[in-house]
Amino acid sequence: MGSLKIRNLSLSYNGGAPVIEKFNLDVSDGECMGLLGPSGVGKTTILKALAGLIQPDQGCILIDDVDVTALPPEKRDAVMVFQKPLLFPFMNVAQNIGFGLRMRKINGAHKQSEINNILRLTRLDGFGRHKVHELSGGQQQRVSLARALILRPAILLLDEPLSNLDANLRQEMRELIQEIQTKTNITTIFVTHDQSEALMMSQRVSLILDGRLRQVGRPQDLFYRPVDPDVARFFGGCNFFTGEIKNGQFETPLGLFPVGQDLKKNQPYTATIRPEDIVISPANDKHLRGAILRTNFEGAATRLWVQCNGVQLIVLAAGAQYKAHQNVSLHIPPDKIRLFPKNV
Amino acid sequence: MKGHQLQTNHNFRTRMAPVMPSLSILLGPALIVVGVLFGGGLILGILQSFGYLHVAAANHLSIQHYLNVLMDPDFLESLWLTLYIATASTLIAAGLSVAVALFLVTLAHKNRLIHFIIQIPLTVPHLVIAVAAVFMLSPTGLLSRFAMALGLINTSSQFPLLINDRWGIGIILTYVWKEIPFITVMILSVLSNTGIELLQVGQTLKANRWQRFRYITLPIIFPSLGAASLIVFAYTFGAFEVPYLLGQTYPMMLSVWAYRNYSDIDLLARPEGITTGILIAVIVSLTVLMAQVITKITRRKGIVL
Amino acid sequence: MKPWFKPMIVWLIPLAICLPFIPLVLWSLSDRWFYPALGPQTWGLRAWLYVFGSAGAQIIASLLQSILVATITAFTSVIIGTPAGRALGLYDFKGKDFISLLFMLPVIVPPLCVAMGLHLWFIRLSLAETYVGVILVHLTFCLPYSIFVMWGVFSNYNPDYEHQARSLGASSGQIVLKIILPFTMPGLIVAGLFSFLLSWSQYLSTLIIGGGRVTTLPIMLFALMASGDRPVAGAVSIIFVLPALIVLLFSARYLGGRSVVGVR
Repeated sequence: MGSLKIRNLSLSYNGGAPVIEKFNLDVSDGECMGLLGPSGVGKTTILKALAGLIQPDQGCILIDDVDVTALPPEKRDAVMVFQKPLLFPFMNVAQNIGFGLRMRKINGAHKQSEINNILRLTRLDGFGRHKVHELSGGQQQRVSLARALILRPAILLLDEPLSNLDANLRQEMRELIQEIQTKTNITTIFVTHDQSEALMMSQRVSLILDGRLRQVGRPQDLFYRPVDPDVARFFGGCNFFTGEIKNGQFETPLGLFPVGQDLKKNQPYTATIRPEDIVISPANDKHLRGAILRTNFEGAATRLWVQCNGVQLIVLAAGAQYKAHQNVSLHIPPDKIRLFPKNV
Repeated sequence: MKGHQLQTNHNFRTRMAPVMPSLSILLGPALIVVGVLFGGGLILGILQSFGYLHVAAANHLSIQHYLNVLMDPDFLESLWLTLYIATASTLIAAGLSVAVALFLVTLAHKNRLIHFIIQIPLTVPHLVIAVAAVFMLSPTGLLSRFAMALGLINTSSQFPLLINDRWGIGIILTYVWKEIPFITVMILSVLSNTGIELLQVGQTLKANRWQRFRYITLPIIFPSLGAASLIVFAYTFGAFEVPYLLGQTYPMMLSVWAYRNYSDIDLLARPEGITTGILIAVIVSLTVLMAQVITKITRRKGIVL
Repeated sequence: MKPWFKPMIVWLIPLAICLPFIPLVLWSLSDRWFYPALGPQTWGLRAWLYVFGSAGAQIIASLLQSILVATITAFTSVIIGTPAGRALGLYDFKGKDFISLLFMLPVIVPPLCVAMGLHLWFIRLSLAETYVGVILVHLTFCLPYSIFVMWGVFSNYNPDYEHQARSLGASSGQIVLKIILPFTMPGLIVAGLFSFLLSWSQYLSTLIIGGGRVTTLPIMLFALMASGDRPVAGAVSIIFVLPALIVLLFSARYLGGRSVVGVR
């Protein structure tokens, strides 16, 4: 078990342009932290730096408040599980799992019982003597996880642990990782590009966009209280409209909204509202009027493109009762609106 | 769980051939060439080694030539020399290749030029290097001149015999120069594909430098190292040009001895040359076969190196 | 590792590889170079003028013979090897293991005994001491390489492209020209170059079947070594090694360079 502190970390490939600059993050003991961001943003690079496989240009990494930046991977109490299973093809399942113990010269009955425990934990009982190429993709991924867990590292680093799996296996593996994380209370940092994966699995999420850490917080915080439009957009925010603060109210083409936040007057703001938060109803006089441009049935909901006072909004409505060219009324709950200063 | 088999097993390319005629049209010409020319040559060689088809003898089979060859003390001398040179060349080349490959892998892709240079010997004919060895290593060669210039020797006769010598040093050096790149490139292709990633896994699983070499690198490279070494051994055991140019007059390597007998003015020696050739082929084939069987058995027992 | 160690090795490897070519070049450029001088006493182009002059007509003749034999062998080898490689790469069939073993044998078994075995037969067929005879015996050792290269090419080849072309109305001839040929061109070139180089370097089989009548470059080189004319032997060695270097440059430029491993 251990805590992790990352201070001012800058990373680049072979002396090229920096991929990650001045990255700071604290992960507390036993926490499950998701590193979220689009592909190619340098998440895996951070993970490799934490594992010691890449030397940072600047900054330091502390595990349990001890600076480990200069330590090689084999001397760090952090184990990385790669995106691909990367099992040793010339060893069977048990030999793969026991590899780390063998490197520490732990042998005999103790090693065997550890292997058996881990096999049970990762639901691989009875597979110990199997060759790795006989396993399914999901099983291989679990062996890879087991191989890391057996070392009981202070920090467990998972690189896109679900991305190589089919949809149905993905859920199974996700539940397994969550279960193991809860059971062992091991400090876990996992990388993903999938926002729903990050929201479901992590206690806290760090969102990285354009090489910078944009927001760290509980999944609900990132989802409902994004710090800037980019974060909102990353989590599927698609409705943006602008307005000004006048007389304690936010004045927009869509009407006046009371403002809860402490904001400066006479300054433009961008507002966002999630498509599922807009309340839609058949045309009536009470609310804002709009016309449906087109619809797209998605199963559980229908996505509607609504033109309303010159602003195009996307609304998610349950069911399939709305049709294109229909006139509707919209209600935008003021407490669901999030405001950002416009020139950020 | 068996339902979720890994997707890599299926191969959309290899299929059962539906029509036999088209298959025989595709394979026929090649089979005829290999069957008639190679197979025919081999069979005719074997027949002649058993005394058949020979000018001076009647058309009956005998093992007389084999007895003559095997009883000849020169044969045994040649056999030991050939085994020694082939084994020494293979082991030295294999050992150095592992070192060179491990070194080149640490350079990764930074140095493309050196990756190109290392391939030069692959296509260079053996004969050219044998000629260069004469120019370099003979008593009046470049090395001897350097020794003289440095005052290490006073006359060319003091220079140690490095070609046409008892220990086959010139031959071994030529083969080592020629075969290191071959083995190295074979090893590098596996090392740089999966090797680097697996080594990183090993590193995060707390294997130190030696443990990574012993438990990851060695098992990864062993199949291609073994195969490449086997090819080198088979080649050096039966090759002709290099020992013909760089070998001593007695004892000769088996291939040279076979050719000497074959081209002897005494036509009676000719079948014995062919017989020696057949014996070389048999020894080489048996070595390859044995290596295959040994690898199969150890694999089945789950022993990796 | 000490800091100077890595750069030292980086330089040592190219040095070791270039080492054999140094005496070849030096000797080919020397007019007089007596022991124990470190460099030639008189530099000059005597050897090169000899090779390309009237006195060296024999050498030029052997160069032409080498080119002729190796080119015809390479073409034949690719033409026969490609269909076989296609059969092995695309289809599973009964006896595939046996056939691939059969094709493997000429690679393992030294040329020596096959050439000796064929010799008597070729004498009876009047093929001994002819170009056809020499090309046939070279083909025996080159064909397997063509087959194995094309086997590799066709096992990474998806025949659905042909089916697609056929469904779009292409004829068999058009499929060969417009689909198969472009897809397999790099492989065909590699197979051809391999075969050329292998035939180019053959010595013993040419000696036995050619019987001194077919004097390819390696045969000439041995004769020169026996006569002791080091400058001319050096020059001929350099000519002899040129195609190898051209092939290497070509494959590095167009094929990523990983493919020359097969040349023996």
